[in-house]
Amino acid sequence: MAGTPPRHPLHGTTLLAWRNLTHDRPRFVVTLIGVVFAVLLMGVELGLLVGFARTTSGIVDHSGADLWIVPAGTTNVDIAGRLDERRRFQALAVPGVAAVDPLMMQFGFWKKPDGGNESVALVGVDIASRRGGPWNLVEGRVEDLQQQDAVIIDRLYAAKLGVQRLGDTIEINAKRARVVGFTQGLRTFTQSPYVFMTHRNALAYSNYRPDQTTYLLVTLAPGADAEGVRRAIRERLVTVDVWHTAAFARQAQKYWLITTGAGSALLLSALLGLVVGVVIVGQTLYATTVDRLPEYATLRAIGAPAGYLNRVILKQAGISAALGFGVGTLAVYAVVAITAFGNVAVIMPAWLVLVLALLTVVMCAFGALISIRRLVRIDPTSVFA
Amino acid sequence: MSAAPTVRLEGVGVTYGEGAAALRALAGVTLDIAAGEVTLLLGPSGSGKTTLLQVMGCLLRPTHGRVQLFGRALDGATPEALAALRLAHVGFVFQHYNLFPTLRAWENVAIALDLKGRTPPAQREEAMALLDRLGLGDRATHFPSELSGGQKQRVAIARALAGTPGLILADEPTAALDSRTGQGVVATLRELATREGCAVVIVSHDPRVEPFADRVLHLEDGRVLDDRRVRRDEAS
Ligand SMILES: Nc1ncnc2c1ncn2[C@@H]1O[C@H](COP(=O)(O)OP(=O)(O)OP(=O)(O)O)[C@@H](O)[C@H]1O
Ligand SMILES: [Mg+2]
Repeated sequence: MAGTPPRHPLHGTTLLAWRNLTHDRPRFVVTLIGVVFAVLLMGVELGLLVGFARTTSGIVDHSGADLWIVPAGTTNVDIAGRLDERRRFQALAVPGVAAVDPLMMQFGFWKKPDGGNESVALVGVDIASRRGGPWNLVEGRVEDLQQQDAVIIDRLYAAKLGVQRLGDTIEINAKRARVVGFTQGLRTFTQSPYVFMTHRNALAYSNYRPDQTTYLLVTLAPGADAEGVRRAIRERLVTVDVWHTAAFARQAQKYWLITTGAGSALLLSALLGLVVGVVIVGQTLYATTVDRLPEYATLRAIGAPAGYLNRVILKQAGISAALGFGVGTLAVYAVVAITAFGNVAVIMPAWLVLVLALLTVVMCAFGALISIRRLVRIDPTSVFA
Repeated sequence: MSAAPTVRLEGVGVTYGEGAAALRALAGVTLDIAAGEVTLLLGPSGSGKTTLLQVMGCLLRPTHGRVQLFGRALDGATPEALAALRLAHVGFVFQHYNLFPTLRAWENVAIALDLKGRTPPAQREEAMALLDRLGLGDRATHFPSELSGGQKQRVAIARALAGTPGLILADEPTAALDSRTGQGVVATLRELATREGCAVVIVSHDPRVEPFADRVLHLEDGRVLDDRRVRRDEAS
């Protein structure tokens, strides 16, 4: 037997799909660029959404508390009224409560060494329990906060706050303060950077009375029924709201992403990416299908079932989706890496990669639809024309 | 005759369009096509030859009359059922070859075998065997654009033969070929009918095809004018 063909892994509909795509390289490249662009757009917008969501609830997510007692009507963690300290003792008396720690959140003015002013969010933390932060320390120690004028800020905002290194001094609400530590990646959605300090110092920097705080963070006794305790506290303290930590985090996310419109804007852009992808994939795939109609008619004439033709189209869409998704995801991760050191973060958890993959599949399937609809009408007798 | 004919047409008529625009392409065609025979279909342009081939090949449902393929009536068969019948029983050879231009010669044949459910290794092996048989073993990895007209038509015949269908239908298979090459192609089809016992129907205007036929059907205005057996000239 002369000239045995080289073995290759492709056969049948996969072979036809691959050759259809690669035969017209410029068009294939356009298809891939379309998919990559759509994946990048969807990935970045959704990643920003996740980044924003995590930013708005960061303090809550990292509090380590089980329940949050908040002034009635509080909608997010950054802006709230005040609670009296006696609330703390009332809460401690509820069965199932192991500990109640205060957390203060209050806006303040930060005067930079060079004289400029910045708005900041003071976070007064009970130093013994450390409920409410700081976390992700990269320089200094949390214990150093116990000094009278000590504060910890995030590296991301050091330049904005005119600070370079540990020991730099500034003024907060016209009182001297000294940076004793830096965290990394603790962003704020309000653009007023968090400044961590002890609850005692926070009282001194703010206009709170010594018996006031913003939040009370509840730690449950082992085995306590969280929902039962939450309701019991709510009944006993009356003029407060009591949230499960996860629920309060979600509330904060909802508040910021919906009131600021950031959420819908991002979702809209992601949708736009999806639409652009569907249009480009649909358009290029359809052009290929129309070019190859005589071949599809031939396939049909020699007895291919309709499903065989559809499989060729779907595999073309699938190959475009897979390659475009691969490159697109790499591009998204590049953006993730770049934004890791900026004050807006694109975050790509594994579940979001799956969502992105799913969206890509949906996109390409929709793109394949018009081609498949065209093939339904194909006339196999046209091969004799 | 004990076995059912490969194709049986009874009072077959085909009308294209409706009302004033209706055009009757076939009318009252009754005939049997037997296994192992080469039938030559002659007739002027527009006489209904291609239409008749399409009816025999289950590509077109006639507006009147009945069609049987291997004794099985086709009345009421769905488009998918007809496709399945074509796949199982009919091999097509077209005037313009209709090869897949992006596939190599052997892959063109392999696709037909893939449709018939062969595994990839079996596809390779059978496709190569078929091309060898048509004298194209050394052209297996060529693309259609790298083949001559006669070679292309032989690849198309190899594809039509994939899975050894009982009926081969060829519409003007030699029209685009020079007379020597065309004769070679028809000789190949003739040999298939003899060796494999399949029924071959060839539409052709080419008088050089006639010596290879067992039977010549003459169509005019959608009717069979003449149906004669011919004594085959074995020498040519
Ligand atoms: N799809 C169609 N729609 C309408 N009319 C058709 C169609 N196909 C064929 N016809 C008409 O039916 C008649 C028979 O056509 P057919 O193609 O069977 O002729 P033919 O004998 O093959 O001709 P030729 O030798 O030119 O190929 C012609 O008048 C043709 O115009
Ligand atoms: Mg014709």
